[in-house]
Amino acid sequence: MAAATAASIRERQTVALKRMLNFNVPHVKNSTGEPVWKVLIYDRFGQDIISPLLSVKELRDMGITLHLLLHSDRDPIPDVPAVYFVMPTEENIDRMCQDLRNQLYESYYLNFISAISRSKLEDIANAALAASAVTQVAKVFDQYLNFITLEDDMFVLCNQNKELVSYRAINRPDITDTEMETVMDTIVDSLFCFFVTLGAVPIIRCSRGTAAEMVAVKLDKKLRENLRDARNSLFTGDTLGAGQFSFQRPLLVLVDRNIDLATPLHHTWTYQALVHDVLDFHLNRVNLEESSGVENSPAGARPKRKNKKSYDLTPVDKFWQKHKGSPFPEVAESVQQELESYRAQEDEVKRLKSIMGLEGEDEGAISMLSDNTAKLTSAVSSLPELLEKKRLIDLHTNVATAVLEHIKARKLDVYFEYEEKIMSKTTLDKSLLDIISDPDAGTPEDKMRLFLIYYISAQQAPSEADLEQYKKALTDAGCNLNPLQYIKQWKAFAKMASAPASYGNTTTKPMGLLSRVMNTGSQFVMEGVKNLVLKQQNLPVTRILDNLMEMKSNPETDDYRYFDPKMLRGNDSSVPRNKNPFQEAIVFVVGGGNYIEYQNLVDYIKGKQGKHILYGCSELFNATQFIKQLSQLGQK
Amino acid sequence: MAVDITLLFRASVKTVKTRNKALGVAVGGGVDGSRDELFRRSPRPKGDFSSRAREVISHIGKLRDFLLEHRKDYINAYSHVMSEYGRMTDTERDQIDQDAQTFMRTCSEAIQQLRTQAHKEIHSQQVKEHRSVVLDFIEDYLKRVCKLYSEQRAIRVKRVVDKKRLSKLEPEPNTKTRESMSSEKGSQHPSQESEEKPATEEYPEKVPAESQPELGTWGEGKGDDELSPEEIQMFEQENQRLIGEMNSLFDEVRQIEGRVVEISRLQEIFTEKVLQQEAEIDSIHQLVVGATENIKEGNEDIRELPCLR
Repeated sequence: MAAATAASIRERQTVALKRMLNFNVPHVKNSTGEPVWKVLIYDRFGQDIISPLLSVKELRDMGITLHLLLHSDRDPIPDVPAVYFVMPTEENIDRMCQDLRNQLYESYYLNFISAISRSKLEDIANAALAASAVTQVAKVFDQYLNFITLEDDMFVLCNQNKELVSYRAINRPDITDTEMETVMDTIVDSLFCFFVTLGAVPIIRCSRGTAAEMVAVKLDKKLRENLRDARNSLFTGDTLGAGQFSFQRPLLVLVDRNIDLATPLHHTWTYQALVHDVLDFHLNRVNLEESSGVENSPAGARPKRKNKKSYDLTPVDKFWQKHKGSPFPEVAESVQQELESYRAQEDEVKRLKSIMGLEGEDEGAISMLSDNTAKLTSAVSSLPELLEKKRLIDLHTNVATAVLEHIKARKLDVYFEYEEKIMSKTTLDKSLLDIISDPDAGTPEDKMRLFLIYYISAQQAPSEADLEQYKKALTDAGCNLNPLQYIKQWKAFAKMASAPASYGNTTTKPMGLLSRVMNTGSQFVMEGVKNLVLKQQNLPVTRILDNLMEMKSNPETDDYRYFDPKMLRGNDSSVPRNKNPFQEAIVFVVGGGNYIEYQNLVDYIKGKQGKHILYGCSELFNATQFIKQLSQLGQK
Repeated sequence: MAVDITLLFRASVKTVKTRNKALGVAVGGGVDGSRDELFRRSPRPKGDFSSRAREVISHIGKLRDFLLEHRKDYINAYSHVMSEYGRMTDTERDQIDQDAQTFMRTCSEAIQQLRTQAHKEIHSQQVKEHRSVVLDFIEDYLKRVCKLYSEQRAIRVKRVVDKKRLSKLEPEPNTKTRESMSSEKGSQHPSQESEEKPATEEYPEKVPAESQPELGTWGEGKGDDELSPEEIQMFEQENQRLIGEMNSLFDEVRQIEGRVVEISRLQEIFTEKVLQQEAEIDSIHQLVVGATENIKEGNEDIRELPCLR
């Protein structure tokens, strides 16, 4: 059985939230319990944390009648307790004090997402006194939940203020020391909350001379201080429960985005990463614009109405959980299969209707009937399941169709294949210039991405003449050249620091243009789309993790710093005390990450029994957003 | 792990109080803030709605406790073979059923009343929504408690149906009178004694056992000769046949049991669905009526048009 710290981070955070909603008492399900009702007040940070974890129905089950934003107009509701879940910022505290003064609710349960300072606590005390509401403030808690969990093993720091901790914010040349401190403090605070919720003190490794190192130093300091403070330590044995630890502590690998800039730009081929890349997808919700029907309207030109639909991709969605890491053709096939099996089940239920017509005819039919009663019961009880299945199939059909449209329009399969070749340094069959000048293939952004990947992975920079040629082709295709400026600088800097990361060997095998999908006449007409198969390769981040986790010696990672907050002496050494391979690891990318890296790590760890990885990043961006940041950086 | 800083908060309150006193700032409109607080709290409008809601909840709670208390006795089928303490007569069970039903009806009426009243007085959207969700919670609670009741009632009904089926066993038409009398007598047994399986398995054995002495008396009473070996054999065969028949009847009974349970479950589901649809059908009805009116008026307007010229 996987180690206890692998009780997924999502479960832990959900349990913590449910306890908070239950007035800070562990939640026990009781089928004949009396209903209690309460109102939930959150700020935008709280909303982002809660929404991937608890649906509105689950909130209802916990007794929440209303959930409202802190900074909205709220009417007094007499005789109801209110649970607050907010960040301890100035504005929020002011608004809470205002609520106290206006006597909006019966009793107040205040929960702060990260720890509140003493002075702000006194502000609230002051307001409570002034409003004679001190007894109404029933409980005050520091929840230490300042991070957003998206998957069982993936988390991001924040969504609301991501500009503050974005790649651009960390890497811009005009950043001041104080600003950097603020950014680092924000990141460290969230990471600290993460480890409190996880209930473990990690061993930290990071590369030298990067933002990741700054984060590591601060995090180590914060953990150390907390452990020394015996009275208030958050990591004491009894809060964690017996047997919570595996015998080993987890490994935290802090990497900086700058070691690998090609992966965020990469075109991808797995379902979840594709959805994130091409569609509007965040916090597990995808927003689609559908054009409704192409009917010829009799009265003349009427613009196509676009319906906006949004879908939540949740852990209960079995299809999603199974296929979010699968290559796209496989996904298309599976949707088809699910649809067929659903239709078969539907037909069976419909068949019962005709059999039921024999009711009460004669003795012979009655014995058949008794069997059918059982069938009818099972059919009726399985109806909700069937309906749910239908809903999921519809959902994924829509999403996959939308993705497929993008793939076909922009020829993303071609880009993917080509980039894989570049990144693995196999020979290229088509010249880069051809692809860039091809007007059919892809948006200007796609071309820019391709070129940047080429530039980043090239061992030597292309000659001036070549570069000019490329630049001209890119400008002709409509690209903005600012990102290139920045990448040039980065490359120069990276060359000084260390050898640029290599991407390992890979091959993509086109499985022929005809796939089984086409043969069965499905909706997913993958004509002209290559059925590419991903061969396992390790991205730079995965490689680094592999070295550190398995204690392999490698020039790339040998001089990583080593921190152990539990050790008495404060100085780090490059010599790890622990010689055994780690069972648990957390990879955190300072500067942003994406689903491609996540998927790569998941694939890597699948092969290893009993090992567990968590992936986190300071922000989650897709290639479009990243290019935007690069272009802003290149403008300076 | 969340950290409880309520004590820290209370300490801060004290700090602020002392600081304010030192600075001479008035606290809460009086020197002793806490007394003022108590004083101030009483004129707070105690939500009428919520106190009534809590009343309904406590009633439902009483019903639940009542049902749980008597549940064991109610379900107990061995009541007539066990001691005095566990016994509950059928009349008592009927009484419980009736009481429970009236109680449930009054509770759901109370909830309906609350619902209509709640929306009348209030103008705020949030309060309205809050109240309707609270009423949904209470209804759900009532449903859960009713489920307790309907479960135990289903068990009871099943038993009654079983009893009736067994006591309706028909005598075989082609047996000799003795056999028919003995089989009738045999069928009396299960309705009088417990309907549990050991009993039903027993009586096929009892029948042959009892028919023998009875036959003996019959035989003497009617003045027949002693039983010849052939007759004994025949009677034994009859017995075997009866045993077989009883077993098959028993199987049939089992099947019927299963069917009844399933049918009752289906009916539950259907009732639920029908009730759900009732509301929708009502609204559709309203819409249709409204639409008909509109069309009528529209037609009239159209008819008037030529007159305007």
